[in-house]
Amino acid sequence: MKVLLSLSLLVFLAGVSYRIYGWLTHTVLTSDEGSTPGRPASALKGAVGTIFSGELASVVKTFFTDVLFQKRLFTKSALRWVAHSLIFFGFIALLLMHGLGTGVSEFFFSDYQSTMQPYMTLRNLFGVMVLVGLGIAIYRRLTDKPQRVKSYVSDWLAIAIVGAIILSGMVLDSSQISSYSAFAEMAEDYGDITDPEELLPLETYWAAEQGLVSPNVAKPYDPALIEEGREIAADTCMECHAPAQSAFVSYSLAKVVGPVAHGLGEEGVVNALYYLHIILCLGLLAWLPFSKMFHVIATPVSLLINGVMGFKEPGKDQANVVNRRMIGLSACTHCGSCSELCSSLMFYESFQNDFILPSEKVQILKKVAAGQKVDDQTMANLQKGLYICTSCDRCSEICPSGINLRELFISSRYQLLNRGIPETSMLSHFSFPLSLTKNFIDDHKIALKKLEKIFKDSFTRLKDLTSITIGDPVQVGTDSYQSCYACQRCSNICPVVRLYDDPVKELDMLPHQIIFSLGIGNKDIAMGSQMIWSCSTCYLCQEHCPNKVELTDIFYNLKNAAIRQMEGGRA
Amino acid sequence: MKLAFFQGCNIPIRIEQYAVSSEAVLKKLGVQLEVIEEFTCCGYPVRNVDEKAYIIPSVRNMAIAEKKGLDIMVICNCCFASLQKAKNVMAGNPKLAAEINDLLAKDGLNFEGKVSIKHFLTVLHQDIGLETIKKQLVNMVTDLNLSVIHGCHILRPREVTLFDDSFVPKITDELVALTGATSLDWRGKLECCGAALGGLNSDLSENLLREKVDGARAAGAQFVTPVCSYCHLQFDTTQLNMNDRQQDKEVLPVLLLPQLLGLCLGIDEKVLGIEQNSTIEPLHVDNLKSMLGPPVEKKKKKRKKRPQKEAA
Repeated sequence: MKVLLSLSLLVFLAGVSYRIYGWLTHTVLTSDEGSTPGRPASALKGAVGTIFSGELASVVKTFFTDVLFQKRLFTKSALRWVAHSLIFFGFIALLLMHGLGTGVSEFFFSDYQSTMQPYMTLRNLFGVMVLVGLGIAIYRRLTDKPQRVKSYVSDWLAIAIVGAIILSGMVLDSSQISSYSAFAEMAEDYGDITDPEELLPLETYWAAEQGLVSPNVAKPYDPALIEEGREIAADTCMECHAPAQSAFVSYSLAKVVGPVAHGLGEEGVVNALYYLHIILCLGLLAWLPFSKMFHVIATPVSLLINGVMGFKEPGKDQANVVNRRMIGLSACTHCGSCSELCSSLMFYESFQNDFILPSEKVQILKKVAAGQKVDDQTMANLQKGLYICTSCDRCSEICPSGINLRELFISSRYQLLNRGIPETSMLSHFSFPLSLTKNFIDDHKIALKKLEKIFKDSFTRLKDLTSITIGDPVQVGTDSYQSCYACQRCSNICPVVRLYDDPVKELDMLPHQIIFSLGIGNKDIAMGSQMIWSCSTCYLCQEHCPNKVELTDIFYNLKNAAIRQMEGGRA
Repeated sequence: MKLAFFQGCNIPIRIEQYAVSSEAVLKKLGVQLEVIEEFTCCGYPVRNVDEKAYIIPSVRNMAIAEKKGLDIMVICNCCFASLQKAKNVMAGNPKLAAEINDLLAKDGLNFEGKVSIKHFLTVLHQDIGLETIKKQLVNMVTDLNLSVIHGCHILRPREVTLFDDSFVPKITDELVALTGATSLDWRGKLECCGAALGGLNSDLSENLLREKVDGARAAGAQFVTPVCSYCHLQFDTTQLNMNDRQQDKEVLPVLLLPQLLGLCLGIDEKVLGIEQNSTIEPLHVDNLKSMLGPPVEKKKKKRKKRPQKEAA
């Protein structure tokens, strides 16, 4: 047993060390930043600096409000907060009082005995707390509709292992309550009762009122014997053993478990349950650093950092920005709060790309950061998911683990774009808020250049046209282009055309020329003109068109079609 | 009156003062706003990529408001146009409407078309009315010239936005006039700020903005008053970021209409977040405050001032 304990403790410590080493040396997507020297030193400097600055008070405050009280979760959802609190406090209480009974409980309560009150009741109470919490968690995962956020094996496994620990403990407890060999052993060891004259009444009493399943006595019990046994128990047992009913759940369970265990051979059952319970506990300990349960260590760290830094100001120390990114990945519990509130929620419905949802972006980034192989198509989807983002920052505001999702996503977005996969979503207005921040300006321009090249290669230009043919009417969402009578008011009023000395050179085609090209059935040169991507969408042309040609709407349609063609050409 | 306040994506995180000042003004005027957490992006950013993906989010947002039994109030033009466009499409394209409603059923939502989409300016001008606002004014400004930039998507296409007269809009000017300020006639008043090209074609975007900044200045504007959140970000952020800013003259500061109106309704400038506009210096706020005076005494003051000026 000691060997097992030491082994799992070693695995746990090694795992935690490895994860913390990862925080300070690994990177999410690029290896460039990994070589950022002094990341551990920066982390230490940052932590020590915070402690010896005016920030200490805010760290302490964050510890109580965000880490212990889980205020961020409370604001998000009272039900989830209840579930988390029940699991968290129930489990910690069990760990301290029961798991570390000899170390912690005996230190604080010199008369601690696991068989005495209030510990017997408390043990069951804490266990029930955890189980109720887990029940709410399962309920939420199953009933949250629509289920955009997926539940992975890792999510269910965490719930299953914690639940199995509690249940195995309770069943073990009940099997001990009903166990005859446990009774006999205790009667001999603690009560010093070997005389059958004394043992029979005691056993009768224990079978009648304390849940014992006895091979020697059977119903109906002799009331006189019960009374005699009760007196013996009061004299010899009750000093160190509270009534079994105190463990209210285990006692009730014993009525079911007892007969079954008896049938199977109760000594073996008790032993098996004991080992099962211990192995589950030690298993959790060893597995913790490599699972999502590592959040019990990473999330408090993330919350404390967030309490001091927030997410709105860019970090000054680049090394610590990368450190925080890595800590953030470990701190994600895949709770889905971010995705429920994501502004891009409906774009997920349109594009069916999991990585539009922030919680799923974090899951895949976690894998990538851990060095798992991810195929090219998935990476391309991730890049698109990272780009289809309104920069509303609601995910960073809401994250119950205090992860700086804004920074994680923006840096990941540009690190992926730098790998050279063209991203047509850059042609959307998601680019606008990015242009305001002045970050990654050069990376952005380089990535746009790549798109421009694809754009130029995908379509015929007006100047490359050698002869004009009249084609069939084109599909651009409206037939209004057919009403054009060539007055050129659209081009005359266009603020973009006005800005250039030689607009035809810069824009390939002016608005009226685009309508003309549609008129002769050539959509290709219209899609390939720079004009549609230089259109400021001000709608002046459309508003002023005497024949109600819906120019701006047509330009939008051409842009959509051009992107589809560019995407298709690449695939 | 109670309305669902649709803030979009830019305002809560980048222009919080626009939401706060609008709320403060409307509260004074007896309009209650409810911010609905479930609202998502209006869809506008994705319009270049996929028209249907652009429509769906607005339908969902309207369905949420319908479920709550509230009409929607918008302050961002692009959100406004997206919602109006989605409403227009749902009414005119039953096949697509059915398809989108099927999708919304996943969230237990259904769009019926009952909800109205109101712009903040319309709420002030039509639902509350100029006379009611006038009665509430505790201050008016004197000698304040503003360049209002309506932005594009509130006005055009007129068949979709259904706001004011798209060629000769009056609502904004009349609201500005209430405060005593002058809404200048200038060439950028109905034109494009360039935001739609930001990040796609940033040089062109900045050129369009520069044209407006210069135009407003040439017309004698002390402040520019954008209506749309995108215009606001162009004037209040891009203007400061532009490459040639150092060689440029003074920055043209941004003053939002609810900030001006709020001052005249006696709301503190801190509440209105005037200094949260990045282009605003404390000097501008002092200047504005010095222009404030009681509405009834306005004429008397002018009379007093005139002889002084003549004497000087």
